[in-house]
Amino acid sequence: MICSDAFKATADAMADVQGAPGYGYLTTPHPVAGLTPEQVRERAESVADQVARLLSE
Amino acid sequence: MTTEPDPDVAREAIEYCYEQGWTDGLPVVPASQALLDQFLAHTNRDPDEVLWRMDHLGRECTVHTAAINAAMAGCLPEYFPVVLAAWDAVMRDRAAKGGGWQSTSGPAPLIVINGPIRGELGINCTGGIFAGGFRPNATIPRALGLMLRNAFGVIPHVFDQTTQGIPGRWAICFGENEEESPWEPLATEMGLEPNTNAVSTTLTRTYEFVDNRHTQDPEQLLNDFGDTISRTGVMIFRAQSAGIVFCPEHAQMLAGAGYSKADVKDWLIEHCGRVEADLRRAGKDAVSEGGFGARSASEEERVPGDVFTPFLPSRESVPIIVAGARNAAISMVFRVFGEWSNSSVEIETVPVAAVKGG
Repeated sequence: MICSDAFKATADAMADVQGAPGYGYLTTPHPVAGLTPEQVRERAESVADQVARLLSE
Repeated sequence: MTTEPDPDVAREAIEYCYEQGWTDGLPVVPASQALLDQFLAHTNRDPDEVLWRMDHLGRECTVHTAAINAAMAGCLPEYFPVVLAAWDAVMRDRAAKGGGWQSTSGPAPLIVINGPIRGELGINCTGGIFAGGFRPNATIPRALGLMLRNAFGVIPHVFDQTTQGIPGRWAICFGENEEESPWEPLATEMGLEPNTNAVSTTLTRTYEFVDNRHTQDPEQLLNDFGDTISRTGVMIFRAQSAGIVFCPEHAQMLAGAGYSKADVKDWLIEHCGRVEADLRRAGKDAVSEGGFGARSASEEERVPGDVFTPFLPSRESVPIIVAGARNAAISMVFRVFGEWSNSSVEIETVPVAAVKGG
């Protein structure tokens, strides 16, 4: 899972209520809504290695 | 001889509620089992009935939990059927079912009450409908806020992701001024029998006044409303929903000129919107019909600047209510968060004799 860093508190709380405290997820800088398609691609590339690492843990 | 309540004991109980995290920042009424029993005596619904369940949070609210929160909100027991109907009404909104309560926009429930129960409970329908000062108007919406907080755990900074919210988020509740409205009551328009006690509720984003004591021309008056409704700042999608709480004076002026409620809606549907050049200036020329399209159009996507985009797709997207006093020609435009269900919920009261015997 990836969420923008503004929602970290909510993500942590969701992990707790779902019975998975400390669940591993990635963050990307907020905001995301106004990005152009090109900027979204850049964001995706910037976290690709971390995604691969998280999935293989 | 009766003794006066001990303020220190009361304060101790109030502080206890604060310590438990049960309050919205203001003091709550400590709820005893005896008080809770009075609330439950005002409904025939099973205390264990689940009003709503938020699966993703693993939390639910029963009639019993709702009664505790209504009591803490400061409701009288006889308000409880209104609280239940208000909850049922707002949960008909697709947005409320779909996570709207946790939205970054922090929407507020707008609660409108029709029928004789307005007089019986002392619900304000006239002067100061948005301004406080009346117990049912203040405590019924607060009960919904406490239910969100205490039953579902939707708490600010955690599951409540509100960016700023709107002033008085849990304080927007009033009766329609049926006595001075020239049109049929909202609940009647929604298909219930005249004089039915009913609640209509939707989630809303903001409230903007239209002060027009300047004209007797209905078209000019409607243009003033149209200008407020058509501002670009509220746009997320092209299709949106804006309602009006008309003061009696504005409503009577329009009705006097021959406008039915439907005529007013049709006028607004036709005239509210902006040309592409206006949307481009605000960076909203690529706002999509639905879904998230919050960006400005690229050169290739652009359409001519004089193309007009209407904002209100149908009569259902223009709820109209009449409330407030005849003191001045001041009305309120409100923004619906998503889509109103366009329905009213009948308030199921328990006959007084049955309450006493319960």
